[in-house]
Amino acid sequence: MQTIFSIAVDALAYGMVLFVISIGLSVTLGLMRVVNLAHGAFAMIGGYIASYAARDLGLGYGAAVLIAVFGTIVIAIPIERLLYRRIYGQPELTQVLMTIGITFCIIGIANYVFGPTLKTIPLPPSLEGSADLGFRSIAVHRIFAIVCGLAVAGALWFAIEKTAFGVKLRAAVDNAAMAAALGVRTEVVYAVSFAVAVGLAAFGGVVGAELLPVEPYYALRYMVTFLVVVSVGGAGSIPGALAACLLLGGIDTTGRYLMPEFGEFFFYLAVIAIVCVFPRGLAGRMK
Amino acid sequence: MKRIILAALAALATSVAAQADTIKVGVVGPFSGPFALQGKNFKAGIDAYMAVNGAKVGDDDIEIIYRDVPQADPAQSKALAQELVVKEGVQYLAGFYFTPDAMAVTPLLEQANVPLVIMNAATSAIVTKSPLVVRTSFTLWQTSTPIAKVAKDAGVSKIISVVSDYGPGVDAENAFKAGFEAVGGEIVEAIRMPLSTNDFSPIMQRIKDSGAEGVFAFLPSGPTTLGFVKAFDENGLKDGGIKFFAPGDLTQESDLPALGDAALGLQTTFHYAVSHDSPENKAFVEAAAKAIGNPAELSFPAVGAYDGMHVIYKMIEATSGEQDAQKAVDAVKGLSWTSPRGPVSIDPESRHITQNIYLREVAKADDGTYYNKEIQTFEKQGDPGLAAVK
Amino acid sequence: MATMNEAATALAAGRRGLGRDLAGLAVILVLAAIGYLLFPNNLALLTRITAIALLVLSLDLVTGYCGVATLGHAALFGSGAYAAGIAAVHFGITDPLLMVAAGILGGALAGLACGIVILRAHGLPQLVLSIALIHLFHEFANKASSWTGGSDGLAGIAPDPLIGLFAFDLWGRTAYVFGVVLLAIVFVLLRLVVRSPFGMLCRGIKEDPIRIRAMGASPTIALLKMYVISGAVAGAGGALNAVSTQVVALDSLSFTLSAESLVMLVLGGTGSLFGALTGTIVFMFFEDLVSAANPFHWLTMVGALLIAVVLFTPKGLYGTVAAILARRRGAGR
Repeated sequence: MQTIFSIAVDALAYGMVLFVISIGLSVTLGLMRVVNLAHGAFAMIGGYIASYAARDLGLGYGAAVLIAVFGTIVIAIPIERLLYRRIYGQPELTQVLMTIGITFCIIGIANYVFGPTLKTIPLPPSLEGSADLGFRSIAVHRIFAIVCGLAVAGALWFAIEKTAFGVKLRAAVDNAAMAAALGVRTEVVYAVSFAVAVGLAAFGGVVGAELLPVEPYYALRYMVTFLVVVSVGGAGSIPGALAACLLLGGIDTTGRYLMPEFGEFFFYLAVIAIVCVFPRGLAGRMK
Repeated sequence: MKRIILAALAALATSVAAQADTIKVGVVGPFSGPFALQGKNFKAGIDAYMAVNGAKVGDDDIEIIYRDVPQADPAQSKALAQELVVKEGVQYLAGFYFTPDAMAVTPLLEQANVPLVIMNAATSAIVTKSPLVVRTSFTLWQTSTPIAKVAKDAGVSKIISVVSDYGPGVDAENAFKAGFEAVGGEIVEAIRMPLSTNDFSPIMQRIKDSGAEGVFAFLPSGPTTLGFVKAFDENGLKDGGIKFFAPGDLTQESDLPALGDAALGLQTTFHYAVSHDSPENKAFVEAAAKAIGNPAELSFPAVGAYDGMHVIYKMIEATSGEQDAQKAVDAVKGLSWTSPRGPVSIDPESRHITQNIYLREVAKADDGTYYNKEIQTFEKQGDPGLAAVK
Repeated sequence: MATMNEAATALAAGRRGLGRDLAGLAVILVLAAIGYLLFPNNLALLTRITAIALLVLSLDLVTGYCGVATLGHAALFGSGAYAAGIAAVHFGITDPLLMVAAGILGGALAGLACGIVILRAHGLPQLVLSIALIHLFHEFANKASSWTGGSDGLAGIAPDPLIGLFAFDLWGRTAYVFGVVLLAIVFVLLRLVVRSPFGMLCRGIKEDPIRIRAMGASPTIALLKMYVISGAVAGAGGALNAVSTQVVALDSLSFTLSAESLVMLVLGGTGSLFGALTGTIVFMFFEDLVSAANPFHWLTMVGALLIAVVLFTPKGLYGTVAAILARRRGAGR
């Protein structure tokens, strides 16, 4: 019984970390219809900036997170204007080519500037160490990640479903020409959503850095995981992504506990099964 | 048209470069991609050796040509080795971080009349694939066997083995198992985890449930190591008194700043620590740190490359620059010298390096940096893995 | 309107088809000869390009002609490579032609298996299925190490001399000629396949599956057939790789190789066999050039190339050139 609880806690923690890192991709992929394979690259940029701010400049963790999010957005703005704007509405394969190209460039530059070693983001004392749950201990930063995940999920859901901007965004996605005719400045809507997606990527990169450490190859190493999680959930759906992360986190954690040798089989067979049963994702929007 | 121009340019370039008495050494390694750090260390070791000993042997200039194989990819590795031999005319092949990449090249050597000096790839069997292979790094059998004795001496008799599920991981598991059972220990469980594992909490739960007093672990150096060691710390295993044993890949110096306090006190056995106390090592570290730029990036492949260059220089001396692979290899059989890692020699039988293996513990220096502190020496260790291959 | 135009072009293309087949064949052989003359010392790279070209052609069949999005196509290539390698190492079948046959069979079977799974979804979920498949194949080969050598690779493949005369040696001439001939044969066969009624049916499915179903044809069966053909082609490429490098390792079943092949295809232009060839040649040459020039930081250059291609030739290199030529011809008429 204790073991089951213990695995459940691990699964929850892992799933929420996945959620925080991947949710930005769900925004670009589902709402903006851009297969953004460079998502991991933006998360990595966030991680590097936070690491530099906290470790080399000695700033606090909170300040480092803020600087990372805004710094990454500032870096992403010219990339959006010059490159992404060309691929909105283009065929998926063209988007794949462009975003892989961007990823390669960012990896190369990160390797050149920061070197190939792992970079850590020093945690504040309040997030260090372990908390006792009675039947086991868990790292405090994992609890922090869970809280962050819930906060992000709530805020995003509210922004998309309840605010005027959310309405415009959904209108622009469903029918850009019609939305524009109705006076929605789709360019601005797209730019803002892109900035939000990138900011979320950076935030996830920083919060998840304890689990997925920052190094130049980060951008490609975890790309597949992000893509799988978001697609299984149904691109563009916040509850779907949340459900997918918890489900896949649970399957992965249980699989690795019960039979670590076949962990990989377990995970990907489950992915195939889920996609076959829910071909549009757990909560996919109808196209 | 463009291609013709390119080819013409290439031809021009080679004709300029091909002056008399330049001996070329082709080095294949992971210089970009996820293992770029290890490739960078190859280059640092080679640069350091050439900075200390000059870029000339006798009258012959030595030229290094680098080729990149970012991840294990034997087909690419073989194509590049062929290109190096046939097009660039290299007399020596060296480097090779991954076993399959090295294995792919061994069938070429005899026909190409080129010796292969392995600077890292650590599976025992490679040296048996061709009589022209010499290795100056280590094997996992070599570094993982002594830690079994260490574990027993520490009073641990039940151990769970946890390794990454790929060639080197399986090697490490087998080596430790053989060593530990030989001294009367018991492996209560052996887990192989997929290489892509990110979250190690469930594994830690397994370790807890197994009732073992200690854990033997092997993972490739890099991000996964970080996750594993942190999970070991955070899930309360370290505080719970479970002992941790591993070969030194897990605590390679370039990962230590990231591992931080979580690594303190971990005991590993390995052939080289950057902190090794000897005049040879001081000179090496100084030169290699200069070559790599950031001293914190220095790690074990650099010393494999440094000694690999030493072997190649001796080969060139012995053949006075003529291309004669067999003579070159014969000349270094039994060669012994003092490497930055300590006294070493090339075993004439296996052509693998015989060296000291050190037990080290991660400690914190006065200036706040972490290092591997050598606390025990196992002298003149050969490769026990060769017996297992045969 | 657009479909009408396309149909008309397709019809015209059909009439010109035979001429273009021969022209295509001639181009391949001439390029191969030029490659041989210009880079006599780098035949290993050229041979590798021919093997990868087979993989990219095979990917073009399902992605370009059938509209299937896949990031797991190396599963077919790797299965072919392992089939050839295992035949040689464990069953003593070392004749290169038989090894290629084994590769074709292995690739076709893998194509069947992958097709059954991948064709169950569309768009993004399809992409995810293909990713899951390639990881399963990879993991399976890693686990079955007594057959595949695991992560150390399957070494010790020693193919006999080709038709008993030409040995596969260090200079790689035999391997190169063998590869070029294989590529040329496959190319001509594929030209016939994509112009056949069956090929047209697949294109139709890509454009409008519902209409095809209404016409009484089964899209899934047709696509599955194409997947098997694609598997055979990729398997031939894998076997060629196994024969020429004499080693097979897990990288031939990797996500990386799958993604790279897709990049090459899109680079050249999807939906055209010439596009697939162009993409492969340009990408592999470019990669070889920049990675030799700077082994440490070449990835940035490759990234820049991909971005530039999207910006300046949106239909891929070959696709854009072909479109420009077609427009000129149209204007001249």
